[in-house]
Amino acid sequence: MTQAVIAGYARSPFTPAGKGALSRVRPDDLMAQVVRALIERTGAKPEDIEDIIIGCAFPEGEQGFNIGRVVGFLADLPITAAGSQVNRWCGSSMSAVHMAAGAVAAGAGDLFVCGGVESMSRVPMLGFNPVLNPRLQKEKPDSYLGMGMTAENLAQRYQIDRTAQQQFAVTSQQRAAAAQAEGRFADEIVPIQTKAGAVSADGCIRADTTEEGLSALRPAFLATGTVTAGTSSPLTDGASAVLVASADYAEKHGLPVLARIAAMSVAGCAPDIMGIGPVPAARKALARAGLEMSAMDVVELNEAFAAQALAVERDLMLDHARVNLDGGAIALGHPLGASGARITGKAASLLARTGGKHAMATMCVGGGQGVATILARA
Amino acid sequence: MAIERCAVLGAGLMGSGIAAHLANAGLPVLLLDMPAKEGPRSGAAAAAIERLKKADPQPLMTPDAAKLITPGNFDDDLPKLAECDWIIEVIVEDLGAKRAMYDRVDAVRKPGSIVSSNTSTIPLRSLAKKQSPAFQADFCITHFFNPPRYMRLLELVTGPGTRPEVAAELTQLCDVRLGKGVVHCKDTPGFIANRIGTYWITCAVNEAIARGVTVEDADATHRPMGIPKTGVFGLVDLVGLDLMPLIATSLLFSLPPGDDYRRIFKAHPLLTRMIAEGNTGRKGKGGFYRMTKAGRERVREAIDLSTGEYRPAAKPKLEAVEAARRDLGALVRHPSPAGEYAQAVLVQVLAYAASLVPDIADDIASVDEAMRLGYAWTQGPFELIDRLGADWLAGAVEAAGLPVPPLLALARGRSFYRVQDGALQCLTPAGEYAPVKRPPGVLLLQDIKRASKPVLRNASAAVWDIGDGVLCFEFTSKMNALDPDILGLLGQALALASKSYKGMVIHNEGENFSVGANLGLAMFAANVAAWPVIEQQVAGGQAALKALKYALVPVVGAPSGMALGGGCEILLHCSAVQAHAETYMGLVEVGVGLLPGWGGCKELLGRWQAAPGLPRGPMPAVAKVFEVISTAQVSKSAAQARGLGFLRPTDGITMNRDRLLHDAKQRVLALADGYQPPKAFEYSLPGPGGRVALDLAVEGFAATGKATPHDVVVSKRVARVLTGGDADPLDVMTEDDVTALEREAFMALVRTPASLARTEHMLTTGKPLRN
Repeated sequence: MTQAVIAGYARSPFTPAGKGALSRVRPDDLMAQVVRALIERTGAKPEDIEDIIIGCAFPEGEQGFNIGRVVGFLADLPITAAGSQVNRWCGSSMSAVHMAAGAVAAGAGDLFVCGGVESMSRVPMLGFNPVLNPRLQKEKPDSYLGMGMTAENLAQRYQIDRTAQQQFAVTSQQRAAAAQAEGRFADEIVPIQTKAGAVSADGCIRADTTEEGLSALRPAFLATGTVTAGTSSPLTDGASAVLVASADYAEKHGLPVLARIAAMSVAGCAPDIMGIGPVPAARKALARAGLEMSAMDVVELNEAFAAQALAVERDLMLDHARVNLDGGAIALGHPLGASGARITGKAASLLARTGGKHAMATMCVGGGQGVATILARA
Repeated sequence: MAIERCAVLGAGLMGSGIAAHLANAGLPVLLLDMPAKEGPRSGAAAAAIERLKKADPQPLMTPDAAKLITPGNFDDDLPKLAECDWIIEVIVEDLGAKRAMYDRVDAVRKPGSIVSSNTSTIPLRSLAKKQSPAFQADFCITHFFNPPRYMRLLELVTGPGTRPEVAAELTQLCDVRLGKGVVHCKDTPGFIANRIGTYWITCAVNEAIARGVTVEDADATHRPMGIPKTGVFGLVDLVGLDLMPLIATSLLFSLPPGDDYRRIFKAHPLLTRMIAEGNTGRKGKGGFYRMTKAGRERVREAIDLSTGEYRPAAKPKLEAVEAARRDLGALVRHPSPAGEYAQAVLVQVLAYAASLVPDIADDIASVDEAMRLGYAWTQGPFELIDRLGADWLAGAVEAAGLPVPPLLALARGRSFYRVQDGALQCLTPAGEYAPVKRPPGVLLLQDIKRASKPVLRNASAAVWDIGDGVLCFEFTSKMNALDPDILGLLGQALALASKSYKGMVIHNEGENFSVGANLGLAMFAANVAAWPVIEQQVAGGQAALKALKYALVPVVGAPSGMALGGGCEILLHCSAVQAHAETYMGLVEVGVGLLPGWGGCKELLGRWQAAPGLPRGPMPAVAKVFEVISTAQVSKSAAQARGLGFLRPTDGITMNRDRLLHDAKQRVLALADGYQPPKAFEYSLPGPGGRVALDLAVEGFAATGKATPHDVVVSKRVARVLTGGDADPLDVMTEDDVTALEREAFMALVRTPASLARTEHMLTTGKPLRN
């Protein structure tokens, strides 16, 4: 079986939806700028690209219309590079990576651009036409439960109090702020050209976040609850992409390989605690890789909510010192479709940076799912 | 020269407020202030613009209007005045500073541009004295009242050197585009409104202190006079106590020697102490009234005028005030401290006003208009004299040992106003009666009513012939509440209009167009479980408004003030709307636990489905209308009503309320030729799938405490109507299909005890119940 490798990672700055610096940038343009930079930085040969697979949680409007193909055109890639769009809510762009890795394994291509994008400024949560299934709502109402409530459910079931959530959020902010201050995002961020000039810095990070400040916030989803805006990932605009190649191709063309894809998984879970999804997904992936959790030197766990991430850490017995070294989505932001490629690319680059052997990237997905990728040092 | 660009010099409260209102009228404005010592040079003006966006009541009619205001500073941007046609100076009330500014302005302005001052205290002759003849020719005073958007008075003062065209151009602009009542004043201290207003405040405070009348009783006693409910002490709190000595000093400096203000002016130790202690009114720690907290309760306190101590404010019920409900004379003749107080104040104030004509204005109508528009009195001083009788007042003035002003003496045995051949006339200083003139383009229903009898009428509505083949349908019920009588007469009026007229205007001169259906009637029917009666009324309303929409002649709604609930629904069914700029529209039925049941859901949904710019698909229009109706959004201006879909882009806005009926009539005439009733809306609605999405959103709001349990019940009913009930997205629904859903949902809600509790609470307290 042919091995797939991560041969490059790039992302746009992540900026707040609504008033952030990228709010007036079309998501297809945003994605195209990131893809163009990824190709330039890695030195990949555009004519060898098999497919451009782009994930998006709400694939409509400016981020619909088979954005994979649109991005190929916008990034001036050869018309021979095909394009497709994938949706697994927040896990969309990690699924894009999985599709590419699967194709490599099946001998169905050597070079793939896998990305994700979400403009939460321009395409609202639930999209423009949320028309749900009334029978499903009646018979299995949890299927459509709001994400915030699933975090409240986890907080309650795992007895994760507000203080613990706030401490988690402060850590995330501090790590992200330190990484930003020390220039640790510089390699991954692609400056985005906008009408108002180039945007090259993340805009969601709040370096001055304190537990005291967070304690003043009102519950965001349940009047008697513990989850606040400060312990949730913010609405964000952003795009990210990784280059997936067959190991042979990467070696032959001298691509800068960050990591090898060792195992992949998706797993369903109860939708009312969708945030726990990484637990079954991680366990499946570990079993496939023949590894224990303790073998993971680096973990990128998407922080949809502090309560959710803490519950996952508890079940997987994760050491928080190895998790989200440069901060997570609570600080950086969570442009839904873009986060999967970000944490996969980030885990790969952290593996290279830390000299570790194995890394995991995993995230929860609305509706009750988890998705996980295990990487091994190349 | 047409005025296309303006500049305002001085970005304080008044200057920025004037700039905002010019922007409301669509005029680009340059707003200049002193250069900042730190930060951006035009920071003061820029900060003022930011304040405009946040102030309440809103100085701007839409947030976008702020984009018409360009900030600048006196040092860098003065040359830009060369592009401006009207330059309004609103800097500090200091003669030297103003003259220096005029020198700078004159050096850069273009020839023929108009320069005006917003001064309230400095005479024009002093301001203009040292300027060039060319400057004097282009100079005048335009005195706005605070807040400039809402106060309708504009006092215009010209000097002997002012070109006649300056007054003509400004009168036209301020009247038509800014919506002001422009009153031409003489160049005398305080002009009209503040001259009389300051005298009134001083007199009312003096008499209260001298007679031991409490602030609450004094304020309550003013209500039958048509003074706003702030009364006199409440008004001083609003304006600021600290301004009173400044105004007094200015007036005492400039008033003629024998002016009666000099007689009544007193420096009260209590007021001096209050100012010294920071009790300067609402902007300070408190004033004559203040709000304090006792535990979790907010308590209103009033000051004791004799001790200077605060105590809980009383809610007076004065016999004199009760007696004055129908007859102002009963107030001043009432044998009680309140009656004597009212008499002492009114006798002096009205005599003073009578002593000032023709010195401050050529005619009494201008004085009355100034007090109505500048101080929000229901009636001006001469109208008040007519209510009391000129003879009574002259006698009372004599009895008080005061001289009877010549004008009042002239009015003895007659009145200041009379109606002759259906036209309103007023007494001139020469002792003749002259017509009260209305500017071209002003058509008042009150004038029509004086001169004619209604074509149709019943207990709640009347129909008037306003000329040129146009009818005017007027609500006459209490508070213009809508009832079956109104709907019945509407049907008759439409039949008559279709047969014999070109069209109809729906308009009235009440404070509010209509705040909705008569809830008392609905409540009564609900209490006796007369559900079929209620359903019949809902169906009747739907049928009446359908007939309105599809009338064979154009019907133009002409609202001003609030148009809520059923009032809004009537306007939604008109062929066109010509709205006063200060029109506040909303479908607010959810506040009483109901939903728009006379086609309001149907019309707003139809409009939003046809609106350009929304994403395609069945949900965007539904979601928008759901948001507007389920949160009872009310526009804060006619311009905002456009943004909510209550007004169409083709509907007109009239800035001056006095011009509204004329403009609406012209709209009818413009539409009448070849008029075709509108095509009915067709709807493609998402059905239950869309409803689930809206229901989930509502439940999310409920979980966070932003929606109450009954909000959820009501909102889910609204969602069912707007998503088309059990419709499939491929179904094409008719207007009747949607009104049937409205009716079904209305009847379901009206039977709900929680909805009835909301309705009852609104009827008894005037406030929504959050159950």
